[in-house]
Amino acid sequence: MTRRSMLQGLGGLGALGATGSLAACGSAGAQGVGDLAYWHLLSGPDGVTMTELVDGYTATDGAPGVKQTVLAWGAPYYTKLAMASSGGRAPDLAVMHAARVPGYAPGGLLDEWDLDLLGEFGVKKEDFPELIWDKMVVDDKLTCIALDSHPFVLYYNTDIADAAGVLGSDGLLLPTNTPEDFRELALELGAKSPSGYGLSWGYLGDGSNQWRMFSTYYTQLGGTIELPEGGTMQYQEELVVQTAEWILSLIDGEVGNPGNDGGTAISEFATGSTGAFYGGVWESGSYRNEGVPFDMTVIPGVFGEPAAYADSHSFVLPHQSSPDEAKRRSVHEMVAYLLKNSISWAGAGHIPAYSPVVQDPAYAKLIPQSHYADAIDHLVYDPPAWFTGSGSDFHTYFGNDMQNVWARRTSPLEGWNAFVARINDLLAKPSPM
Amino acid sequence: MTTADGVTVPRTSPRPNAALTGGPISEGRRRRRRAENIRGWVYCLPFLIAFGLFLIWPTIYGLWMSFTGTSLAGTKTGFVGLANWTEALGDANVWTSLANTAVFTVLSSIPLVLIAMGLAILVNVGLPGQWFWRLAFFLPFLLASTVVSKFWNWMYNPQLGLVNTVLGWFGITGPAWLQDPSTAMISVVITTVWWTIGFNFLLYLAALQNIPDQLYEAASLDGAGRWRKFRSITVPQLAPTTVLVLVLQLLSSLKVFDQIYQMTSGGPGGDTRPVLLYIYEVGFTGYRLGYASAISYIFFFMIIIVSLAYMVISSRRSVKA
Amino acid sequence: MSAANPTTSPALPATRGKRRADAAERTAATTAAGRRRRRTDPARVVAFVILLVLALAWLVPVLWAALTSFKTEAEAAALPVTIVPESGFTLDAYITTLTSGQVPRWAWNSLLTSTAITFITVVISALAGYALSRMEFVGRKAIVALILASIMIPGQILIVPLFQLMLGLNLVDTYWGIILPQVVAAPMVFILMKFFDQIPRELEEAALMDGASRLRILWSIVLPLSRPILGAVSIFVFIGAWNNFLWPFIVVNDADLMTLPTGLQTVISAYGIQYAQNMAQAMLAALPLIIVFLFFQRQIIKGISTTGIAGT
Repeated sequence: MTRRSMLQGLGGLGALGATGSLAACGSAGAQGVGDLAYWHLLSGPDGVTMTELVDGYTATDGAPGVKQTVLAWGAPYYTKLAMASSGGRAPDLAVMHAARVPGYAPGGLLDEWDLDLLGEFGVKKEDFPELIWDKMVVDDKLTCIALDSHPFVLYYNTDIADAAGVLGSDGLLLPTNTPEDFRELALELGAKSPSGYGLSWGYLGDGSNQWRMFSTYYTQLGGTIELPEGGTMQYQEELVVQTAEWILSLIDGEVGNPGNDGGTAISEFATGSTGAFYGGVWESGSYRNEGVPFDMTVIPGVFGEPAAYADSHSFVLPHQSSPDEAKRRSVHEMVAYLLKNSISWAGAGHIPAYSPVVQDPAYAKLIPQSHYADAIDHLVYDPPAWFTGSGSDFHTYFGNDMQNVWARRTSPLEGWNAFVARINDLLAKPSPM
Repeated sequence: MTTADGVTVPRTSPRPNAALTGGPISEGRRRRRRAENIRGWVYCLPFLIAFGLFLIWPTIYGLWMSFTGTSLAGTKTGFVGLANWTEALGDANVWTSLANTAVFTVLSSIPLVLIAMGLAILVNVGLPGQWFWRLAFFLPFLLASTVVSKFWNWMYNPQLGLVNTVLGWFGITGPAWLQDPSTAMISVVITTVWWTIGFNFLLYLAALQNIPDQLYEAASLDGAGRWRKFRSITVPQLAPTTVLVLVLQLLSSLKVFDQIYQMTSGGPGGDTRPVLLYIYEVGFTGYRLGYASAISYIFFFMIIIVSLAYMVISSRRSVKA
Repeated sequence: MSAANPTTSPALPATRGKRRADAAERTAATTAAGRRRRRTDPARVVAFVILLVLALAWLVPVLWAALTSFKTEAEAAALPVTIVPESGFTLDAYITTLTSGQVPRWAWNSLLTSTAITFITVVISALAGYALSRMEFVGRKAIVALILASIMIPGQILIVPLFQLMLGLNLVDTYWGIILPQVVAAPMVFILMKFFDQIPRELEEAALMDGASRLRILWSIVLPLSRPILGAVSIFVFIGAWNNFLWPFIVVNDADLMTLPTGLQTVISAYGIQYAQNMAQAMLAALPLIIVFLFFQRQIIKGISTTGIAGT
């Protein structure tokens, strides 16, 4: 038995050496450029659309193969991406949320994009809206290429809204300009909803969704947040309280369900039992599949200018110790292809960042996409810091401390102050990047 | 050990030639001893290299890292003195995650010892179908944590899972087991008991089979009843095993990471996050390797305390025996 | 375990035949409960029922996963929940998993790394264990003490410095990165040393006088005598390596190099969560060890109970 197991072991080791060296060489031996390793965190309807887009690219002349790896959204993905980049054997291309890029870039985990090379494939600076371009450049370096912006918006059930008489002659939700108007509208929706609730918002256990809601209304009220490294968090306390009280008034058991988690809120709206739903544009694909009649709009600016919490899926070049020039070139080509064809990405609900696509008449025909396209002028990203962005600790901490506020276990200021204390702790430390 | 030179050498060296020539004996011996010295080290070398490189060095290096600001991005590796340590001692998350670890350890260890013992005693009664009992209780232990987590995530699924479906038959609406702060920890504990009980079960079974039959026979002759024999023979005979199982269990429960990371990611709101998960989050998700090292060492010291406590207890036992 | 293996006992609870009952008693450690137990003992029936209920309960999660894996995706996600697949048993989930996913690749990686880990561990531990048992050399006692003391170091707390070390050695995202840190098994050296200590020295001494080298003695005398313990150590190391999650999870980011447990956890489908496929993957990942267990039940159980104590 010993000898046999040793022999087996030897065989295994031999194979190990063989595959080990194969893996080390990669597929560089293949004709042209080897497969591009591409990581992202898009699954469900987003993942399907991305797969189709990538297949479209690989079908073009001379394109290399692309190997997609999909990791779970949020911390698991970002942790792995950082670890791979620090190991120097990172994928050739990856998707990151734009708001997380400022935290990554200074640490040397990301390589710079070559604008000239992109230009060769027909992508220029002028093709991006200013708000988004600002997010793409970090420390004067073109660090990420935005594919889209995906704002937090309001979905509404068109049948219920029609029955409640809150649709205009154009078939769109009537505008509301004051908190009272909006509450009134929500109550009218609720009166016609099977569940009795006009609004659905899921927050339990979902820090990101709590932050999206808060950020949207806080910004409407004119609130700002700054996170200076080595300093303390800067914000407007009265506006924080006002925002929290407003959100509480929407989940008071009359307008909306006081204790929803993300899944329940989605299923409430998907089964047509509530009138409206606060959520990211990325849910639209699932709702379409469910067959619920719905439309979408920018969250009404009841306190002033509308605001739409958003982030952008963007392409980054994770740091490689010795990048292959041919592959880098292909990656630029691939990204240019994906941008130019992002009309199908719009199908998943996102607003393409590449302006020529949005300005194309084809986009105006997309419904409900074109109904919230003006969100692009009201985007609010996370305040920059090394710990903010989609699925970041910032969101997690916000959720940890504010969940008790929404569940009415602590006062708004108590929850907020606990959150601020944790953020100040993070600010007091030097950024690990 | 009985391998002292005095014992082995006379037996292995009845070499007449060497014995006759007097002086060279010690010369040859010395040479042989030198060869033996070298050979001993050569044989140990492969292991020692791996041991030094992958166990001893990281242990020392980790301690050094805890005094630096090392980050995952490779920047700012400067010496920061005790900053990480003072921060760790004042970090509420360190303490809550240590507390979660302790709660998990207590909640999981008690059933893992008691139920394992109960199962072993029942199986040891000698009922038919021995292979089946062993299969049922031991099989989960062979599964990878990921597989176990997948099974149980599916069991606990609020809408589609078996647990809530069965509760639904009785008109009970089950909670979202892993997302609800009041049930998340206990759900993970149940999974852990299911997964790892087979190991303790086997240790108990082996211990039970080592109890000499004569003890029971003698007790029977004395007219002892079943309960009496259990109390005065089985339980005391199992005592050393129980101490051993309990300590092994405590040590392995303290190191919990896999199933919690996979089932709840430490949620809801950090309610199930054990200290190893916090170390992972701080070091790899938060990029702060230096700080993560400091927390690792605080945890390390606690493990050492548990191990030393065991040594003290077991040495006291052996003194008594 | 004694030679009279309880598993071979054919006794049934309802059998009152004298011989059968005797056989059943002999297998039980509590034989002494004696003559009173000849007839069907109510306590035994109760014990049997309790065990049966518990054992079935223990199998439920596996059965539930198996049933789900044979459903169509639509049925797996449909309410109300069905227990037995109503639209019939289908292998779709398995076929999709095996043809389109990376599960076969991960299984191969697991096999490769676990085999290498087992082989290297056994070789270096046996060499060291033999030297520590048989050779007198300067520093032997220190090494033994160091090995014993190191058993207290929980490997899990070393993930941070080990990852740094792997970065330095350029081994992150390589097979060797997975393998090397797992070959250090101080308890196994100790177990082997203790076992070698019990092997009589006379055979070796005779061979030594015949001029055989130490290596030859180890290979042709000591190791053959140590088969049971080598088997136990190998089994224990292999199972540990096959199931290890934390270290491969830390050191590998490339989906092509992941082992089964890490790949299943880390990589998701672009198509979202597919419950039937998810369970099919879990079943496929569980299958190799279940099969091995069915074939080598006795050896595994023995291996675990002899080496497990020191190895945890």
